[in-house]
Amino acid sequence: MAKSAQNKIQRQPFLPLWVIVIGSGVAAAIALYPLFGKAYIVALLGKFLCYAIFALSIDLIWGFAGILSLGQAVYFGTGAYFVALSLKISYATEHPTRYGGNIPDFMEWNGLTEVPGFMQPLIHLPFAVACALIIPTLLAFIFGVITFKRHIYGVYCAVITLAESIILQDFIIEYQAYTGGFNGITDFGHYSSTYFLWFILAITVLCFLVGRLLTHSRVGTILKSVRDNDVRAEFLGYNVANYRIFVFCFSAFLAATAGAMYGAWVGLVSFLDTGPVFSIEAVIWTAVGGRGTIIGAFVGTFLVNGAAFFLSGVLADFWQLIMGGLFIFVVLVMRDGIVGTLAKWLRRRRDGTISQMVEESDRQAADRQRDFQSGGGTKEPEEI
Amino acid sequence: MTKALEITNLTTRVSGYTILKDLSLSVEQNELRVLLGPNGAGKTTLIDMITGRYKPNAGKIAFYGKDITGKSPDIIFREGISRKFQVPNLYETLSIFDNVMLSLKGKRTVMQNLLRRTTGEEVDRIWEVLELVHLAERAADPADSLSHGERQWLELGMMVASSPKLLLFDEPTTGMTEHGKLQTADLIVKIAEHHTVLLVEHDMHIVRRIAKKVSVLHQGQMLAEGTLDEIVHNEMVQQVYLGKGGDTVAA
Amino acid sequence: MLSQMLATQFLTGLSIVAILILVALGLAVIFGIAGVINMAHGEFIMVGAYVAAVVGELGGNTFVALPAAFVVVGLLGLAVERGIIQFIYDRPLETLLATWGVGIALQVIIKLIFGSQLYYVAAPKILDGGVRVIGILPFPYYRIFLIILAIVLLILTFWVLYKTKFGLKVRTVRRNRNIAGCLGINTARVDMMIFVFGSGLAGVAGAALAPIKSVSPPMGFPYAVDAFMVLVLGGVGNLWGVAVGAGLIGEAETILAFLTNNVIAKLLVFLFIVIAIRVFPKGLFGYHERS
Repeated sequence: MAKSAQNKIQRQPFLPLWVIVIGSGVAAAIALYPLFGKAYIVALLGKFLCYAIFALSIDLIWGFAGILSLGQAVYFGTGAYFVALSLKISYATEHPTRYGGNIPDFMEWNGLTEVPGFMQPLIHLPFAVACALIIPTLLAFIFGVITFKRHIYGVYCAVITLAESIILQDFIIEYQAYTGGFNGITDFGHYSSTYFLWFILAITVLCFLVGRLLTHSRVGTILKSVRDNDVRAEFLGYNVANYRIFVFCFSAFLAATAGAMYGAWVGLVSFLDTGPVFSIEAVIWTAVGGRGTIIGAFVGTFLVNGAAFFLSGVLADFWQLIMGGLFIFVVLVMRDGIVGTLAKWLRRRRDGTISQMVEESDRQAADRQRDFQSGGGTKEPEEI
Repeated sequence: MTKALEITNLTTRVSGYTILKDLSLSVEQNELRVLLGPNGAGKTTLIDMITGRYKPNAGKIAFYGKDITGKSPDIIFREGISRKFQVPNLYETLSIFDNVMLSLKGKRTVMQNLLRRTTGEEVDRIWEVLELVHLAERAADPADSLSHGERQWLELGMMVASSPKLLLFDEPTTGMTEHGKLQTADLIVKIAEHHTVLLVEHDMHIVRRIAKKVSVLHQGQMLAEGTLDEIVHNEMVQQVYLGKGGDTVAA
Repeated sequence: MLSQMLATQFLTGLSIVAILILVALGLAVIFGIAGVINMAHGEFIMVGAYVAAVVGELGGNTFVALPAAFVVVGLLGLAVERGIIQFIYDRPLETLLATWGVGIALQVIIKLIFGSQLYYVAAPKILDGGVRVIGILPFPYYRIFLIILAIVLLILTFWVLYKTKFGLKVRTVRRNRNIAGCLGINTARVDMMIFVFGSGLAGVAGAALAPIKSVSPPMGFPYAVDAFMVLVLGGVGNLWGVAVGAGLIGEAETILAFLTNNVIAKLLVFLFIVIAIRVFPKGLFGYHERS
């Protein structure tokens, strides 16, 4: 009997066959679509891919490490803004406004005559991309050290991330000379070619593979153990705060990557991309897809956003009502999300149906009971 | 030879109450010491102090001569002290196998664990431990599917897997059947053959079965120390325990 | 003079503190005892404001609106608690998400009923005008009313929690849920009543705020965030936490906003709170349970 358990333990492939097959199919479909499909759908695909990476970043900290952040968009949005600003500044130098200035329009409207000194280096895209990736990660590190080292997590942490994201939103709106304020940054030479879509797709696949690698590794199991019982983990010698900081920074890095590509692809970046509404919606995509499953982040993102695109026009306000209901539904009813529920179902079929499991369990209990009453020496202790 | 555990003048106050008063205690290497005392005597608090859960207000805790007073729990674990909680503290959704795997002695930092795979040697050790606690068949099941007695034993297994120098057991037979208690007692004796063990226990049957040297705590202070026989005939101990019902103390 | 301007700011700050107390009190009571955060708290406040708007249309004034809002939003809280919250007390993080959904739904429903235009609710005539305290500008009577209302509600909540039999049950559950159950207290019922009470308080806050803030579906959310920060800083151990947390945040924000601007003030206060909870992880008056 120990053999069967041994087999179950070993049977954990890096990528299950069905994931490889279906994943390749989906990736191929997305890659080929621009060659014959509608332009606005291509635009959506790129956007959704960036969103999917963002949802993945949330799955890592929430589904695996148990940290709920209601302001993860801070990292996504910062990444997006750096890239968008860079592209906008470059674009403005080559496309002067009607007043002759070659600085971004929102700067001009606010009375600036030239790009501020501290923003000038952004004209170099590689520098901007580096900022887009490094600064959010650094912010996440600081946040992690401040909160996790003091064992502040759970609801308190969630509320603090919420406040953080609102403050960033307020800052962006207030300092409109530098950020484009309420209107955001638009009208710049954004990348909308098929090649860039392939680039985004490649990065998305890479991110998901790395995510799987991480969660499949020892660190992934440790993160899950921290989520389950951080007291136990600490008393088994794990520095819980360090693990939380690590996964939080990695998640921020992924979110920033997603944001940077988003900024380049979509052509419109605004304060909404850094705010709590966006952050929390991404949490729901992850929940719908199935948290703690990696691939669920992708599924949930495409499903919810796809539905939103096609239905919100038709349903208007009712779509918002459905979204609200979705939050409640995912928490009360479908806790494991689509992929999670599917995985459970498949496992049940492999290990036997529920009634079979119950029978087996009853039989084992009866065996143990019998052995106990006969005074057998080497059976495990049990509750009567 | 340096004592395994040397506690000197430990004092702890919580919310105005003095839980531990000037407590001193020492445990030799490879000893099996039983810690007795009525409820509220401070036994669990003492274990909390040793394992770093809380900082004492005064006093010193030395482990093989090294001062570990007030250090954080993960550091103290890495020094070689492993703790079993009164109510089993497990990783509920992880498999029994993983619960033991995570307890194995070894690297604990993020960097060290990033691309690490479990070695064949480690896998063998995990199965060894699982056999010891009779949970090998259930290795793939999640920890929350176990009965209470099995959970206690899983935690025992996790402690053994961590290859510690000192094991602290806090009422490990809580909630078990008579049969389970005796088996646990035997397992503890087996473990104590090669480890230093400090055992907090209430059940006198168990204590009688395994005790060599006993320390009795009362209201945060050391009341008496000695062999079980000496303790049982100690007047002060009899006074404290008299009229409390439960097991008879007379030999 | 700077001192006179600062004094004026301090006074204005007091009314901000009062508002913070009003919006945070209901949340503090619920989080402190039942351990859940209602992300729809802002929408509960908003519904209270709409109650005031309706009462106003029907000819009543604020003094009628306050108890009406307590009842209406209290019932709303009852529905939410029975329909959703009661199943997920053991999962506080997910309560955040579920109640966020409730908030979204409430905004949509209110918008469908009332439209998205702004409503203006008038203060009671008796409270029109103001009194000169410092400087030239009069300090509005209504703001004084808010300060008094905040104090009254604090005392009322204190009385309910510490001087009634119900309050005794609540505090027992707070101290040790398991023992409370063993003593025969129906802890589930206590949680429910507390949620209703806290929701009712949110409604009162909304009705009280209606005259000074234009009423619209999204008006409540910023207040909810303010309330969260009051709880994080002040802690949920006792009512002092609400008062002191609100006091510190309200005054700091007002004075800093005067010296710099609104956004920087909010940032500085946020940083202050984050640093403060490093020293007091459960808030200034946080309750440390001995497990």
